[in-house]
Amino acid sequence: MTDVTLSPGKATAAVKRPTGASIGPRWSNALFVAPYLAFYLALLVYPLFKGIWMSMLQSDMFDDTSKFAGLANYYRLFNDKVFIGSVWNTIWFVVMTVPAFVAIGLLLALALNRSDRTSATLRAIFFGTSVLSVTIVTIIWKMMYMPGNGAIAGIMRFFGMEPLAFTTTASLALPAIAITTVWWIIGLPMMLFLAALQQIPGELYEAAALDNASRWRSFWSITMPSIRRTLLVVVIYEIVAQFQLFGQALLLTQGGPNNASRPIVLFIYEQGFRSWNLGYAAAASEILFIIMAVAALAQFFASRKRVEE
Amino acid sequence: MSSIELDSVSKRFGSVEVISELSLTIHSGEFIAFLGPSGCGKSTLLRMIAGLETVNGGEIRIGGERVDHLPPGARGVAMVFQHYALYPHMTVFDNLAFGLKNIGTPKEEIARRIEEAARILEISHLLQRKPGQLSGGQRQRVAIGRALVKDPKAYLFDEPLSNLDAALRVRTRVELARLHQQTRATTIFVTHDQVEAMTLASRIVVMNARKVEQVGTPMDIYGRPATEFVARFVGSPAMNFLPVQVRDRGGLASAMLGDGSVIDTDVPADALPAGAELRVGVRAEAIRVRQDGAIPGKVEVAERLGDRTHLHVRLMDGSTLVAEDTGISQVQPGDAVRLAVEGATAHLFDAAGLAYHARQ
Amino acid sequence: MAASERIVGRGIGNKVILASVVLVAIVWMLPIAWVLILSFKPNSELMISTASAFHPPYTLKNYTDIFQTSGVFRWLWNSAVVSVGVTVGILILSSLAGYGFARAEFKGRDVIFILVLLGLAVPEQAVIIARHQIFSDLKMHNTYPAIILPGLSSAFGVFLMTQYFKAIPKDIDEAAMLDNASRFKIFWKVLLPLTIPAQATLGIFSFLGAWNDYLWPLISATKPEMFTITVGIASTQTNFAQSEGLGFLMAQAIFAGLPVFVVYLFFQKYIVRAVAGAAIT
Repeated sequence: MTDVTLSPGKATAAVKRPTGASIGPRWSNALFVAPYLAFYLALLVYPLFKGIWMSMLQSDMFDDTSKFAGLANYYRLFNDKVFIGSVWNTIWFVVMTVPAFVAIGLLLALALNRSDRTSATLRAIFFGTSVLSVTIVTIIWKMMYMPGNGAIAGIMRFFGMEPLAFTTTASLALPAIAITTVWWIIGLPMMLFLAALQQIPGELYEAAALDNASRWRSFWSITMPSIRRTLLVVVIYEIVAQFQLFGQALLLTQGGPNNASRPIVLFIYEQGFRSWNLGYAAAASEILFIIMAVAALAQFFASRKRVEE
Repeated sequence: MSSIELDSVSKRFGSVEVISELSLTIHSGEFIAFLGPSGCGKSTLLRMIAGLETVNGGEIRIGGERVDHLPPGARGVAMVFQHYALYPHMTVFDNLAFGLKNIGTPKEEIARRIEEAARILEISHLLQRKPGQLSGGQRQRVAIGRALVKDPKAYLFDEPLSNLDAALRVRTRVELARLHQQTRATTIFVTHDQVEAMTLASRIVVMNARKVEQVGTPMDIYGRPATEFVARFVGSPAMNFLPVQVRDRGGLASAMLGDGSVIDTDVPADALPAGAELRVGVRAEAIRVRQDGAIPGKVEVAERLGDRTHLHVRLMDGSTLVAEDTGISQVQPGDAVRLAVEGATAHLFDAAGLAYHARQ
Repeated sequence: MAASERIVGRGIGNKVILASVVLVAIVWMLPIAWVLILSFKPNSELMISTASAFHPPYTLKNYTDIFQTSGVFRWLWNSAVVSVGVTVGILILSSLAGYGFARAEFKGRDVIFILVLLGLAVPEQAVIIARHQIFSDLKMHNTYPAIILPGLSSAFGVFLMTQYFKAIPKDIDEAAMLDNASRFKIFWKVLLPLTIPAQATLGIFSFLGAWNDYLWPLISATKPEMFTITVGIASTQTNFAQSEGLGFLMAQAIFAGLPVFVVYLFFQKYIVRAVAGAAIT
């Protein structure tokens, strides 16, 4: 540093009265969150309560009036075989897909948690299908499932088997939707597991190898404990996500045959926007909301208990 | 340049009082260091002056004007942050210009000031780079430059050297000292490093556990520490403390160690609290190995620093102390030595940690 | 896990695993390959059997037909408008709110933030009936705003941006305060430029989400000229089995999937990072 000749300060601050920010709470700071809050209140909070209110109305679509009916819609729902069936269908779908997402996602992540180019390409392939819309995915799988012209039918015939009619057989419709769904969005759980695996320090595996731990042993003693939190995240996320099954069912099977693959959201959609029983549909959507909240909460508490033990 | 006055300022985080009723006057042009261990409140105090923490009680005045209700930008101070806090997406020039633009300084004036500051700090060739392309030392200079261009009423440094490597830290320290000698700017420098405080500051404020332990010149702090905390915190190796029995020796106190040997101090005996438990405090450089030394002991560890050697010696009564020997000391661990204490520099401390010194 | 790749004695095991995953990946791509092949076959041949897929003749007619007959372009345009609208809206609202919740204190802020987070737990289906009613009352269905606006109420982006703003060292804001910058200037000039990676992440996420959204556009847009591509393609496939256009439908699917696929190829790094980031937050 050489000599200092910084000119005498012409009271820099006096050039213009400063308007700088200060610390501490200010009402004006709320302006930053206000725009979002407006949308949040108008399009999430308000509809949420309006939906609860609507679920207690019985609407008459002929003269466009509605009257308060208390819990009548709910009472009717619990006696509606189609609705109860859709609840069971949804639960069955969740039971089929969530373990598959966890198991396949974890296996792929373990196999592809490497830094070479092949693994990167494979990761891109498995994740790539997730960016397609449900519409395209169902077109693709219709071409797989078609009884006469489908690819799977062709393969079965090639091996001398009688082709199965996946989307039109009651016992196969929901599993077919499940397979399509796993194919479609396996990328997310895989990526979540990969992110978790990459957080595990490599030294742990090196230390384990020096301790003569086998690959299997390392997996159970190091990998699994380290990714427990992610495992929980994946399970909860997938439960909540798969409860919302809609597009695949609508487009692959229309809920059929004989209601065998109708999930709750499809029931809501049909009641609300095909039959225009808005109150009835709103009541069903509240039940879906409750089931999902309970499922997530139960899972959350169950896993927290296990972690604490 | 302006003076800074703190008038019984207090600070609470929730229900925890982190600074209570602290008063301090920093003279115009003074270089003052806030020294203390982490968590002692020194950074909080600095940030209160800057306006980055609210003040729960008392007043802060800069240049006579009360500022504790003004936003940070209106206080006319500049701060150099520990992690520099440069704007990562702006060039060095824009980093320096940002504050001046915000108060509507004319373009030519901004350019002139930046050019000048860059020349002083030798960063002229870096003006078009971004902070990510600079080394730690260069970022440090830019951070100082950002303060310099504002021509502030006071400079506030928050542990600015702690992120530099050892060699660079020493060099920057010297440059800061030179810069201050040239600008004569009021400066507050927060550090936990006693060497930085000792070498840079004209006065040091030693803080511990939210209060001021001592305010004084570096040599005051070193030579006449007000409390045991200051004595232990300043100086390396830390001052030796040994319990003693005190006797009056013609008005001055003589301290008898546990092994029966005596250190004749210059501390006036009548100043000492009667019948109190006392300890003697002696720095290592006042304890030498001498054949006629009064205190026998056995060397356990010899730390060779090149210019001197620190000997960790166990005394007969089992207590230990650190003595200093020459760099070419032949003493080996296990050797029996005799130590001579320069009693004139010894201090006495009471149970509360309060110090008693020789008359000046 | 570069470290464990190197552990001696595991090379063969690793190779076997990788080889099996390659096989699985090939099976994974078969459905797409199948549709791709079919899209190049003349419709007349597919009417008889899809077994002819592996022999010529192949044709581009299905693709050229798209340009002449279908509403695909209108739908693509609608999807683009809707997706860009949703994305820009979410980025603006989430950035402002994220900065507010992370940095700009006001009374009651933390309570409001928790209430917003609770919004993450409300599924779209729980509010869709009421939303439909609201837009009906406003006579806004079959307009772009009706399709776009509900997407802006999602709390996800706010949450993501809040976390991101919180991770930026606070001394940057403090330096700006000492530099006399106003609240908005600190947001706009100092912190926002530092969130560009998060903007990219959230932007791509929102764009893909809006592009692929099915339920709300299906309900809100009932006129074919307001369909998004996702709804539009769905509308053509419901009765395709009887129709003459199996190959044409396949070509439409491929064509409609192309834009997102290109986005995916270009932004794969960001998309992967977004997914990984969402896991950590």
